[in-house]
Order: sequence, then structure tokens, then C-alpha cells
Amino acid sequence: MKIDEVFSMIENQFNQYGSRARQLREEGRKVIGYICSFVPLEMITASGAIPFRVRGNIHEPITLGDTLLETIVCPYYRSCFDLSIKGRYEFLSGLVIPHACDSMVRSYSVWSYSLPYSYFHFVNVPTICEESSFEFFEEELKHFKRSLERLMDKSIEEEDLLKAIQLHNQNREKIRALYELRKSDPPLLSGTELMMTLTVGSGLPVDESNEWFDRVIKAVKGRDASPLSKGPRILIDGACIDHIELVKLVEELGGNVVADTICNGARDSFPKTEESGDPIRALSHRYLEKLNCPKTYRANKAGTFEGDIASRFGDIGAYAKEFRVDGAILYVYKYCDPFGFEVPARKAYYQLIRVPMLHLEDTYSAGNLGQLRTRIQAFLEMIGG
Amino acid sequence: MTEEQKEAKPKKRMTATKAAASIGPLVKEFITETLKARAEGKQKLAYTFIVCHHEEILRAMDVIPIWTENFAGVCGAKRDAERFLQRAESLGLSRSLCTYALCGIGFDQWREELGEMPPDSPWGGMARPDFMISSGQILCDPRSKWYQASQQFMPDVPIYNIDLPYPLFQRDQDHREVWGYYHKYIVKQLRGLVAFVEEQTKKKMDYDRLRELVDLSDRTWNLIDETYRLRKAVPCPMGTGDAMNTMVPICFMMATQRAYDFFVELKKELEEKIARGEGEVENEKYRLMWGGGLPAWYALNDFNYFNSKGASFPVETTYRMVAPLHEMDIPETKDPIEHLAWRWLGYWTFWYDKARKRPDSEPDVERLINWIEEYKIDGIVMHEAFSCRTWHVGLIWQLHQLGKIYKPIPLYVVGKDGKKEVVMKELPSLILESDIIDITSYSEVDTRNKIDAFIETLESYRLNRAY
Repeated sequence: MKIDEVFSMIENQFNQYGSRARQLREEGRKVIGYICSFVPLEMITASGAIPFRVRGNIHEPITLGDTLLETIVCPYYRSCFDLSIKGRYEFLSGLVIPHACDSMVRSYSVWSYSLPYSYFHFVNVPTICEESSFEFFEEELKHFKRSLERLMDKSIEEEDLLKAIQLHNQNREKIRALYELRKSDPPLLSGTELMMTLTVGSGLPVDESNEWFDRVIKAVKGRDASPLSKGPRILIDGACIDHIELVKLVEELGGNVVADTICNGARDSFPKTEESGDPIRALSHRYLEKLNCPKTYRANKAGTFEGDIASRFGDIGAYAKEFRVDGAILYVYKYCDPFGFEVPARKAYYQLIRVPMLHLEDTYSAGNLGQLRTRIQAFLEMIGG
Repeated sequence: MTEEQKEAKPKKRMTATKAAASIGPLVKEFITETLKARAEGKQKLAYTFIVCHHEEILRAMDVIPIWTENFAGVCGAKRDAERFLQRAESLGLSRSLCTYALCGIGFDQWREELGEMPPDSPWGGMARPDFMISSGQILCDPRSKWYQASQQFMPDVPIYNIDLPYPLFQRDQDHREVWGYYHKYIVKQLRGLVAFVEEQTKKKMDYDRLRELVDLSDRTWNLIDETYRLRKAVPCPMGTGDAMNTMVPICFMMATQRAYDFFVELKKELEEKIARGEGEVENEKYRLMWGGGLPAWYALNDFNYFNSKGASFPVETTYRMVAPLHEMDIPETKDPIEHLAWRWLGYWTFWYDKARKRPDSEPDVERLINWIEEYKIDGIVMHEAFSCRTWHVGLIWQLHQLGKIYKPIPLYVVGKDGKKEVVMKELPSLILESDIIDITSYSEVDTRNKIDAFIETLESYRLNRAY
């Protein structure tokens, strides 16, 4: 398949997000929606259902959602709820929400009573990483497993779980391979293309997602030249960014988005699940320990502030080095307490690693793009774009 | 920076009970005591949060808690939070985050920068802690982020983050199916806290003393429940305005004899008022429930405004941090730590069984329905504080769901044929909007206009009620 053809299909699926899941539902498959990276996808895949990441839409004003959910909720999450309540994800059989932030926890009843799905489940993810929290989380994962078994009317065997772990690990390896294509200067794969590809993948069964990633990798490897001109190499830091507008803006203004530490990007996609040993225990460690979300409290073992931030944000420094970034954009949603409270510490960390950083607080609305454009333009000029 | 600028002092709110009037000096006293203890250096001081069921552990080990939410509330009530909020903003923290935390972090940064209390700190300021006990719950994100952010300015002060989950209500699942492993985890967390405090204080826990303090808390807990139930009387002897004062012993003084004695006195005072037929307002016309949200601490006078319209508040869901222990379905144990863990689970799951029995109900909605009936409520008032998701997300939906499943008011309306007919209607409700301590979000004129319109609705319901 030619590269133009591949990206034309990716773009089409990005714009028609959910069309394949709807089709599979019509064919009799069960599709389970989820929000946030803390939901163990392997468990859903092992049950025979299809995990589907619920998306928002920054171009669609939040209307019906505001009649039931306060405007002080994370705007990205409000958009997801708004689309759901408008019936955009009517093909889902159920929804899984984890303990990730107050917006999710405190609105669980709002979702579960307002949407017509027959299945809802809350995964209570601990906030700390220590032996007792892993033990607790393993029990919580077994509880989730039992709940899926009831829904699917079949037991999930260890073999099913191992197979699902392997499939999702392959998916993560392919995502890693996609990121490798951004190492050249300018990158062979643009940030906009990558964001679209990852988003499309999160709405497909994992085996189909793997096939699509392979197609993209193959097509991009065959590229003669980068779709971008050389420019400042930018890392995007923040929560879940399921739209392409921010990255597109940076690239339109001459930057090259080459790395990220976002929920639906490198930060939560790169860590793999151990394939040996007890699969439940392996999942508990992947989701609790390896996902470096600010929601999880990590004790200051260094005893100094510098040591603490080096330990908490070390992944940012590692990716900044690996992808040779010239600057970073910390993109935080308004009303996001987990990320919001880390802004001073993250700022200090970027100073420590000598990477210029632009902090943007956004409301997940296309109406803000003009303002973002001005600030990003000034930042790129400042770092030499 | 406008750090030195303060808002005009608010008018003092009139209280209905002597007990509520005694709270201001009490808070000042325990804040002053922390400063004295800091100066003397004999006892350890710990930053910490309310609603963690860990006071008994701290007090048994002679640790003095510094309730950081309380200090932020005091700054708010004294209309002196703005300069600390601006400090926090200058560090890169957004005003949309929990303003209690912003106020605390701004204060900490300023105190650490100066090496002494910021000028004119409310009631002498917040003492520097020896350690901080934060809390990861499915209740409040800032509880595990606030002290971590403050630690930037005092990296030598260690944090112990205690994880206290509880099973979230799920309609198709019995929470007892999972609470065994919740209990096991919470017990381990509390034992971890004991070990941490032992290390910090270089003292061993005296478990007999802990058992005594847990027993004292339990007795206080039951006494609070009995005392607050007296407010069912018509007219109501004490309203939510006063309860925003009497929350102090509940939230900041549990596991002390003084808290117990406070409620003995309050109970006596309420019984006497009831015997005299004395209400919070002289001619009680409307009985309202404060159905959700923390108050705007700088605008507690609004309760007096409600009172001036004949409205009393016999009950509130906010700071009603107890439920009858004997009605909790929790196992008995002689181990005080295990008991604390069960009490924690019992408290959070208290309404689950009742909610499951009523079609389309939910624990928070079920509690509203029960208290509407028990306290003979005519309308519901809620407050949406923009900076706090913990207590303020889900309120709109709760009112929506309540209206959907519960229509208790028979009203005369004019039907299509021009004849009067009786229609069952939901309770009128009002949502006020501002913040806990950020006064810039508040407009007294707008708030009171909203209250006036709400009172008109209540009056119209009163006049057209069929029976």
C-alpha cells in the first residue's frame, strides 16, 4: 500500500472514529469502552470483548453533557461524557472507568445512571506503590476479571490472559517502532501523523491495531523524505491528548513534534507487561508501577527536591535525550488536579535538564486555538525556530 | 504583588446556639497551641487532612495535628486568602485547582522564604511541621498532591501517604463481596502509619491508650449522631450555619475528651431549646437541607439572610461525618486498628443497601430522600465551589436523579380544562456558585437575588400545596 493511501485511510478512520467498532458490534462482538490508561486492556481482550478508548472532540461544543455534569470537571473528560450522552458511542456494551482522578471518581454515578449500557465497572487503582498496594490491586483485578466473566458468560483462563498480554505487548512494541521513525532530523513520521495513527489504533481490536501499525511503519520506512522541514524538536508533556490540533499547530509553525510523555503516547504505551510469572501480578505491576501518572504518589526517597524530581520525572529527561529535543510544551487541562499541582515541580525539572519549556493551560476547545497559536509561535521563535 | 492587601472584615454571623458561638475562640486556641508547641519543641507536629480516621493514632502518640484545610478555611473566613492564592499562582499553580491547597502552598512557600511567618498571618500563622501525612483516597486528588508540592519548599520534611480506598457504589455488586480485601489493605496502611509515626517520634505506640481513644471517638461519634438528630424538631433549634461551626470538633478534635464534652453541652442546649419551642428562626416557614458542597467560608452570613426570610436548615450532608455505629454492619474486633478500618468502610458504605432497595436510587440520592422525610424538608440548597471536584462533582446529577425518582409535593395546578388538579412535584432546589475561599468568585448581590427567587418559589409551593 502506498503511503498516501495508508494515511488517507488512517485519516478517514480518525474522522470516523468508532466506525469499525460499530461494525464489529453489528457482527455480534461486544465492545467495552474505557477511559484512561489505567484500565487493564489485556483483561478485556482476554474476555473476548474489544477494548475501545472513548474519545472527546475539541471541535464539538459541550451541550447535553453540561445538563448533568458540572463545568468544573476536566474539560477533556466532559467532552467524552458529552459525546457519550449524545449517543455517539451507542455501539458500546459497557464502560470501564478507573480510579485515576476526582473527575472520574466523583462522576461515576453520573455516567453509570445516564448511559444506556448494561455493563459498568469501576477499577479501584491504589495511589501508592508498595507491597500491600500491589496485593490489593491484584484482588481488584481478580474482581474485574470475575465481572467480565459474568458479562461474557465465559471464564477467562490463564492462557487467555497470557495471549492477550502478548498481543498488547506487541502493540506497544509497534508503537515504540513508530516513535523510532521520529528520531531522524527532520523526522520521517510527523507528530500529526503519529497522533492520528495512535488514536485510530485505540479504537480497534488489538490485532487489527497491530496490523495498522505495521502498515504505517512499512510505508513510512519507504519514505524518501520527511513531510516536515527541519525545525525545533519538541516534546509534548501532559495528560491524554486525543486530538491532533496542538501537534498540528506546532508543526504548522515550523516545529517538529518528535517525542511526548502523554497518557495515550509514550508514557503509558511504552511500558510492557511481564510475560513470565503470574499474569495478574504482572498486570498489577504494569498498571500501578510502570505507568508514571501524577495520580500515583511516589515517595521522595532522595530526601532532596532535586533528587525527588529526577526520580519522578526521569522519563521526561530520558526521552528528551533519546529524541534530542530542543524544547517542551507542558499541556495541562484546566481543573486537572493531578497534573496541575505538579506544574512548579515540572518547571523546575525542565530547568534542571536545561530544556526550555512552555506551559499551556487549555480548556479542550477549538475556540482556544488562536491563543495557543500565539504562545507557541513566540516559544518557537524564542528557542530558535 | 498585592500581598499586603486584605479584604474588608466580614460582619460577624449570628449563631443560634451558644455552642456554635464558642467555636471561633476554640479554633484560635488550637492554632495558637500548635505555634506554642513549635516554639517549645517538645511535641511533634504533623500536617494532615480531615476524614482519614487516623486522629486516634496521632493523639495516642502525642502528635499535634496541624489541619491544613482548617487553616485555609480560617484565611477564607477572615477574607485573607487572596495574598496566599496569588503566591501560589506566581509559582505556576492554576487558580482552577483546590484553593485550600493553593492557599496552603502559597503560605508554606512564603514562610519558608522568609524563615518566619508571613506578615500579619491569620491567628499567628501555620506552624512548620515535623512531618506531613497525606492521603490517597478515592475522595480527593489534592490530598496526595498538596504536601508533595509543599515539599518543594521544605524538602527536609518527610511525607507519609496513607492510601484509604473504599468500594465505590456499583448497582449490580454487593460491596461485601470485596470489602474483605479492602479491610486488609486499610489495616496494613494504618499499621504503616503507626510505624512511620513511631520512627518520627522515637516512641512506641501504647495500644491500650489507642484503644481508649478509639472508644472515646466511637462514643463521641454516636453522641454527635444523637445530637444532630434533635434538629428534626419543629421549629429547628440549630441550623446549618451553626453546623458550619460545630464541624470543628467533628473534623479537628475527634479522640479528645473536649470534643465529647462539647457535644454533651450542645445536646443539652438543643434539648432545652426544643423544650422551650425555640427555633433557629422566630417564625419558621421553610425547612431547607444543605444538600451538598462546602460553604463559602467568607460568606457564612448568607445563612443569616436565609434565616431572615423564615428559612431554617435542620440538616446538611456536608460535615455530617458520622453515621450510627450500631446500624453499621461491621464485624466486631478488639484490635483498635482493625476497628478503625471497619469504621472507615462502614461510614462510606452506610447508604449502599438502602440505595439498592429503591429503583434508580444511589447512595447520595438515597441520603437526600431519607433526610427530606426525616427532617420534613421543603427545599434543597447546594453550593458549587469551582475549585473543588471532591465534594462538588455530581451535585447537579443528584438533583436531577432526585427529581426523576422522588416527587413528594402534592401541588394544585390548573389543568387543560381550566380545573384545579393535584400534581406531584419534586422539591424546589437552588445551586449557589462561588468557592470555598476564593472571594473573587463571589457576588453577594447575585447570591442574594438567587436566594430571593428561591424563597418566592418556596412560598408559591407553600400556598399551592394540596395537602
